Amino acid sequence: MTAAIETVGLTKTYGQVRALDGLDLVVDEGSIFGFLGPNGAGKTTTVRLLTGLAHPTTGVVKVLGSRVRAGDTVGTGMGFLPDVPGFYDWMTGGEFLRFAGSLFGTAKPQLESRLDMLLDLAGLVDVKTKIGGYSRGMKQRLGIAQALINAPRLLVLDEPTSALDPIGRKEVLEMLASLRGRSTVFFSTHILADVDRVCDTVAIIDRGRLVVQAPMRDLKSRYASHKLVLEVTDGADALAAEIAAQPWAAAMVRAPNGAIEVTVSDMSIAQREIPVLVAARGLGLSRLEAGEVQLEEVFVELVGGNRR
Amino acid sequence: MTGVEFARKEVYEILRTWRIWVLPGIVLFFAISGPLLARFTPEIVGALVGNSLSGLKVPTPTYSDSYIQWIKNLSQILLIAVIIVYGGLVSGEVRSGTVALVLTKPLSRNAFITVKAAVHSLFLAVVVMVGALLTWGLTWLIFGTAPGGALWNATVAFLALGVLFVCVMTLLSSLIRSSAGAAGAGLGAYIVLAIAAIWRPLDDYSPAGLTTQPASLAAGKDVTATWPIATALVLAIALVALAGWIFRRQDL
Repeated sequence: MTAAIETVGLTKTYGQVRALDGLDLVVDEGSIFGFLGPNGAGKTTTVRLLTGLAHPTTGVVKVLGSRVRAGDTVGTGMGFLPDVPGFYDWMTGGEFLRFAGSLFGTAKPQLESRLDMLLDLAGLVDVKTKIGGYSRGMKQRLGIAQALINAPRLLVLDEPTSALDPIGRKEVLEMLASLRGRSTVFFSTHILADVDRVCDTVAIIDRGRLVVQAPMRDLKSRYASHKLVLEVTDGADALAAEIAAQPWAAAMVRAPNGAIEVTVSDMSIAQREIPVLVAARGLGLSRLEAGEVQLEEVFVELVGGNRR
Repeated sequence: MTGVEFARKEVYEILRTWRIWVLPGIVLFFAISGPLLARFTPEIVGALVGNSLSGLKVPTPTYSDSYIQWIKNLSQILLIAVIIVYGGLVSGEVRSGTVALVLTKPLSRNAFITVKAAVHSLFLAVVVMVGALLTWGLTWLIFGTAPGGALWNATVAFLALGVLFVCVMTLLSSLIRSSAGAAGAGLGAYIVLAIAAIWRPLDDYSPAGLTTQPASLAAGKDVTATWPIATALVLAIALVALAGWIFRRQDL
């Protein structure tokens, strides 16, 4: 599979601040790629380097097989939505889409048919006011529509759902999911639920460095191997307290149904010792299995520790 | 092709925003008020001074006074308006974020800069020419005669200065993100140019001459502004090229 995006040793410094520090990233063509990180991690800097809006201090960026040189004309295969899209307020949504399409040299009949479809997608068909009168959500939806005007092979979106209400967010995520296999979607976000919902691959960065990059399933299973869920017939509270005190128990929480969820540092020891602790208390063990991990837990484990 | 589409956007932006009111409004005001002010100057002076300076003789106004008034207004007030209006020509798009959407499409940064300088120079040319035409007609109506040569020579010379300053502002607004800062630097450039014109060789052979010679041309004096016009246009092209070079190296 070819790479839609490839960065090698990508570094960007602003004075003494290293916003991006040797980022190596490969985004496979056709994937929906979630680019996660806390605020200030370097997500927007990465996006600006990918789109040629900023110059890297060192390192190489390749997009759709071509090296990106900031300041040069970009190719026709990419669509882009910045985190806060800026529009010409005196235009209507349709006029802006027509203008955006004309910059790609799209033939007029093709442009008009795409325009209708994208205005419909953005829910702006009946909106006749100028963009200056749009709400933030309307601007965000128009921003997504303009990013799709050239039917791009690669769609780069910086925080695409942050300004949307729950219904708008759902629609945008469904739209992104519908592009699976046809276009590559690279979107940066700090909304973990969005990534969980549509992405097949995820990268997490923190303080300008790549913390992890993996297919979503692999990432979850990797961290699921550190989580156990158990249920006992009775006396769960005392058992939970005893488990929490064990050296191999990194964290313990109680589920709403009373189950004990333990994050462990050594799975083999935990699997041996938990039944012993249950038996010593004379309790009945009704469930002991590997826990299902949410992306949020992975994210907190990888990034959250550094913030405390 | 993309340059043409962007140029079309710039034209529509002029026609559909405040830009269509400011420079045309100023020029229209000067085009109408210049000939009237020239014609009624003796009456205005007489009304202001009264009998206190009974020996003062105000010369009878001629069409030439109308032309001089027109050019003085352009050189002083319109040029300052051009500097202020175009202080955010490039930086305005960077600040508003529109540049991030436009330049991630197949439009080069050079084309972005060149189109802006070209469209707004053309806009200024059209506005000033229409104003000159109006001044010409009104002068003829008021004074009964209006030989065109002096007016058009002076207007063309001013236009070269105006185009130079559109290009100066293109460069400054690429360099300085604040519109007010760029306008301040533009005013500084104008003052430097006006001071440079004191030295005769610069007045004769450089764009500095365009700060003084349009008024002489309007007065019908035997001067030629060929060198200042030619050097101003060459400098304008060089400034736009420099603006493009700088803009390509910037992080947006």
